[in-house]
Amino acid sequence: MTNASAVEIEKKIEKIIYRTALALDDNDWKSWFDLCDDAFFYSITSFSPEINKKMTYFSGNKKELVGLMDMLPKHNTDHSPLHRHTSVYTVEVADEGQSAKAISSVTIYQNMLDGINSHLDSGESRLFVIGKYFDEFKIEDGNPKFLSRETKLDNRRLDKGSHWPL
Amino acid sequence: MAPRNHKNWLKTPKVEYISSECYNNYSIFEQEIEHIFSKVWVPMCHISEMSNDGDFRSTQIANKNVVAVNRGGDVHVFLCPSIDRPAGNGLSTDGLHELHSEVKHGGMVWTTLDLNPSLSVEEWTCGAFDCIADAIDTEEMEVFHYHKAVIDTNYKLWHDTNSEFYHDFMHYFNRVSGFNDEYFARKNIPFDNGHVNVSSFTVNYEEYEGFEDRGELSFPNLPPNQWYMVDLFPGYNFNLRGNAYRSDIVTPLGPNRVLIEFRGYGLKKDTAEERATRVKAHNSIWGPFGRNLHEDLIGVAGQGTTMREGTETRNILHGRHENSTIHDEVGMRHYYEAWGKFLGVNPMNPLALLEDNVQAAE
Repeated sequence: MTNASAVEIEKKIEKIIYRTALALDDNDWKSWFDLCDDAFFYSITSFSPEINKKMTYFSGNKKELVGLMDMLPKHNTDHSPLHRHTSVYTVEVADEGQSAKAISSVTIYQNMLDGINSHLDSGESRLFVIGKYFDEFKIEDGNPKFLSRETKLDNRRLDKGSHWPL
Repeated sequence: MAPRNHKNWLKTPKVEYISSECYNNYSIFEQEIEHIFSKVWVPMCHISEMSNDGDFRSTQIANKNVVAVNRGGDVHVFLCPSIDRPAGNGLSTDGLHELHSEVKHGGMVWTTLDLNPSLSVEEWTCGAFDCIADAIDTEEMEVFHYHKAVIDTNYKLWHDTNSEFYHDFMHYFNRVSGFNDEYFARKNIPFDNGHVNVSSFTVNYEEYEGFEDRGELSFPNLPPNQWYMVDLFPGYNFNLRGNAYRSDIVTPLGPNRVLIEFRGYGLKKDTAEERATRVKAHNSIWGPFGRNLHEDLIGVAGQGTTMREGTETRNILHGRHENSTIHDEVGMRHYYEAWGKFLGVNPMNPLALLEDNVQAAE
């Protein structure tokens, strides 16, 4: 693999991470899943100093995620939109351009749709969670697809949460 | 029943009720801290959070910092005026005042600010844990999940949510996986000191699209897919569902604000595969991104909003009598009877006697 093609793949990976942020912000699950390989696995994790353990808060493969998102309309959820501010920190291409790993910082804000006092709260934005995305990609014909994403949160306090992947 | 207008709503109900003032008054909150949370046994953490010699775990009870320390396998709990970490190892307890403590009921660490408690933990819980004792006390348990939520609502509204089950209608998951004859026959069973437990039934997990039967893994002596619940006065909940166990511990922060700590547990002897199964099952319903917990939190936040101080006082009806079955409000009536006794007030009109009590105490 030449340096030029490695740089090109890195750019494609940055682009796919940002496109994913936009799709997730819009709850456009289909567009997100289209960027994922069939073997995709997703998890939200955190480390708890309280119990001194790494924890998994949510996980699922692509089939499970598609099913869960299809069921969302049947659930009562807080529909306050989430806005992800993502910065790609590192991209490492390996296996002669067949795979890659990326680490991104993510800060997620919640734009209040309703609240304790909707007259006051609606329209306000609050910090929801902070953390990092640890992504793995499969690259075929120069095109990356998500193989896994671990959303590693710093938060252990999650108030009124969300049914949504972050 | 004929439609009721506003005047009808304000009339004294012909069934049992409490006043919404129980949920929003600052004086009542202060009295609860003094007369309830400073007196009762509190499950502050789990023994597996402090399994090594020297490990400590801190919390706050009735505005006082408290720390539990592992000393050679024995747990000691102290009042600790200054503590800057939730957990760690090597805390000096020289000069700290030791509190009564016990490890009981599935390895929970219990303590009380009462310097001369008249009851042991066993006597305080009064048989409420008997329905799940064989499941949680046969094998050593281990905590695998911790998160907390701060919700703008009264702590009792969270406990109410764990005590009344008609809010199950809010959960799509419960509507499809339960709500059969066996579910509606579940019994609310009151115990002394305001505690209640709820008998089990078989949950049909596979009825929720994408979910599978969870019968392959359970807890010792627990038949597959069962769901028991223990509601411990004044705000501690223990929930055994299929292959996962959960506890909720409340710390009231004000009449309209509560910290809730959520823990998930498996067995210490779990294989990696078994533990992963329990974690996934726990998260699917009770995790911060699970199907039900978020819905419950939305519900109690909304209840808190509508009953803020300054809103018109209203009556909360506890009048369902259905032979103590699942939607009977016997658990709510039992809780508020104990609550009224602790504060020396009538929950139907809690402010009437409260001022007299406060003045007498002063």
